[in-house]
Amino acid sequence: MKKIGLRRLSAIAAVSLSATVLSVMPAQAETTIKVLTPNYTDAMPAYYADLNKRFEAANPGIKVEHTNLSWDDILVKGRTLVATDSTPDILNLNTFSDYAAAGLLYKADDLFDAKTLSDFVPAFIDNSKYDGVAYAVPDLASARMFFYNKKILYTSGVNKVPTTWDEVTAAAKKIKAKYPNVYPIALPLGSEEAQAEFAIWTGGNKGRYFNNKKKKWVINSKANVETMNYLTSLVKAGLTQPNPASTNRTDAFKLFSQGKVGMINASVFFPSTLKDYKSKVDYGVAPFPHSAKGKSITLGVQDYFMAFKKPGNEAAVKAWLNFLFQPTNYAGFLKAAGGFIPATKSASSAVDSSLLPFIEQLPNAIFYPGDLAAWPKVSGSIQTQIGNGVNKDPKSVLNKIQKVAVAAGTK
Amino acid sequence: MTSISLDVPKIKNRRPANSIINALPWIGPALLLIVLVVVWPAIELIRISLTKITSAGTLEGFNGLGNYRLLFENPDLKAIAIRTVIWVLSVVSLTILISLPLAQLINQNFPGRKFVRWAMIVPWAASVVMTSIIWKWMLDLTSGEFNLTLQQLGLQNGQPVDWLRDPRYSFFVLVWIAVFVSIPFTTFVILAGLQSIPHDIVEAAQVDGASSWQVYRGIKFPLLRNSLLIATIINLINVFNSFPIIWALTRGGPGYDTDTMITFAYKMAFVEYNMGPSTALGVVNFAFIMLIVLIYLRVTKATRVQV
Repeated sequence: MKKIGLRRLSAIAAVSLSATVLSVMPAQAETTIKVLTPNYTDAMPAYYADLNKRFEAANPGIKVEHTNLSWDDILVKGRTLVATDSTPDILNLNTFSDYAAAGLLYKADDLFDAKTLSDFVPAFIDNSKYDGVAYAVPDLASARMFFYNKKILYTSGVNKVPTTWDEVTAAAKKIKAKYPNVYPIALPLGSEEAQAEFAIWTGGNKGRYFNNKKKKWVINSKANVETMNYLTSLVKAGLTQPNPASTNRTDAFKLFSQGKVGMINASVFFPSTLKDYKSKVDYGVAPFPHSAKGKSITLGVQDYFMAFKKPGNEAAVKAWLNFLFQPTNYAGFLKAAGGFIPATKSASSAVDSSLLPFIEQLPNAIFYPGDLAAWPKVSGSIQTQIGNGVNKDPKSVLNKIQKVAVAAGTK
Repeated sequence: MTSISLDVPKIKNRRPANSIINALPWIGPALLLIVLVVVWPAIELIRISLTKITSAGTLEGFNGLGNYRLLFENPDLKAIAIRTVIWVLSVVSLTILISLPLAQLINQNFPGRKFVRWAMIVPWAASVVMTSIIWKWMLDLTSGEFNLTLQQLGLQNGQPVDWLRDPRYSFFVLVWIAVFVSIPFTTFVILAGLQSIPHDIVEAAQVDGASSWQVYRGIKFPLLRNSLLIATIINLINVFNSFPIIWALTRGGPGYDTDTMITFAYKMAFVEYNMGPSTALGVVNFAFIMLIVLIYLRVTKATRVQV
């Protein structure tokens, strides 16, 4: 695999080399910027094609070379861009901190004027800081809530949507008694989004991955072990779908859309996913249940736009990013991305009413420690390993991840 | 075979000393391609494995054997290495065992033989990723054809089997699919071997009154030695390097429970962003393949001299 990887890398390197040679040759005055973005939905490429056309018309002398990638592809490509000297000028990704730590990024101050910067939602811009300086800007965000199948819940004799762990267990038992073929609660701890699923559960038990005050990793904390024990008890009692450690979020979403799941933790874009699946499930949305000692939280997740420092590209990347964040263009971006929470205050005032319950939850939001350069690495280990906490010894699984995190550092 | 190996020394003796230079215009492009596509990446791979590399992909200078130390300190490596050995051995041996009789079958003359041979090539010609995804659908927990059929036959008493997610089954399912995609190539290599067996030897044995089993044991099987060796070694390399089946079906999960050294190298680099040890594992995997290739060269050389 490695061998093939390198072969491909050399091919990419060769192609990009000739591409730069070609693009430099014709006109000296022209700057070409490479923009690399993930497809939140299939509407993104068309949105960008239109945006870039208008951008190039308004900015003669700047050419945009735009690449749209699936999330799967961009997560892999993001790791090889720098090593193969094919770094884009502008990148849209779910992490930024390790690029910032490596000194590759422009500061947000260099890219936007104070007025534009102050329009970003403060919590989101705070999460875009590495070592106290913003090196990226938020493009959009999501919050998560507790979804339930109304029909399954109400006809099983659950009269009140569960707000605590005990109530979740009780409701799940009632559902299982009434509908033996329904999985009362979906628990997707597969590698796709395990870091989110566990953060949500343990967040309601005052558990975190990183202690911001003490600046240390707390993955194997008592609260997290308690959470893992609680989740294991749900699995052991047969109240979840089988094999949570290998169930991805997408799998769980599908089960819920088919009416085979009673309760699930899901994201702000879940309603539009259900629509895509042509689901007939009548669902309700509620705050996440919490443990006896905890309180309800939501998990805030955001993605980033960042610009890479390259000689002579500053003016061009600045122009492109500012063009994107012009209110009408940004509104189009949000529309194409489908159902996310806006990252700017001005766009927040005009959101769809279905987003309001999620926005209301934001004051209770916990975030990943995405400002640490170590986060991408730690998150990766959580994703691949934490699911096994419900199969194997919870404490030793969490200890193993803690060790990886400590080795990755707290910067 | 015989004539070639006898001729080689003669031709060599007749050649002038600067024959390699004379040959360069002909072999040059191929050599250049090999250097660019095989040698240079291998050197790069080794160089990077000795370099400190961040998760952002920046290189931060010479790191000695640091990446290798991190790799061998990994508590999961041992189980993954053992699983890789089991994976390779079980897939290759099952493939050969199933392909031997299959090759025998399609070597017979029967109506529709052409169609059967054609149908056998399909899993080989189809992209492995595509095959894997089709199996993934068939083995789905709730809507897969496999579980639905088992249910209709009343064999599952309401508890569908989670073929791909339950670690008790998933590894065996992966082995089976790897066997499934390896059978066509192996069968055709053995078929080629069967067809190269001189007809007169078989006929002579039959005239002497040998049963068909005796003909197979005493004549055909020993003469299949070369094809079997080639099939085994090429399968060893293919199966060891096999990535798409495992990645498309289980992503090596849960945890690392269905990972091999190949998927583990990828997972470390692109899911866990742990680039350093992953490059070291890349070198270890490469060395393993080189070892098999050396054995292959040794074995083919040995058989050529012998025949």
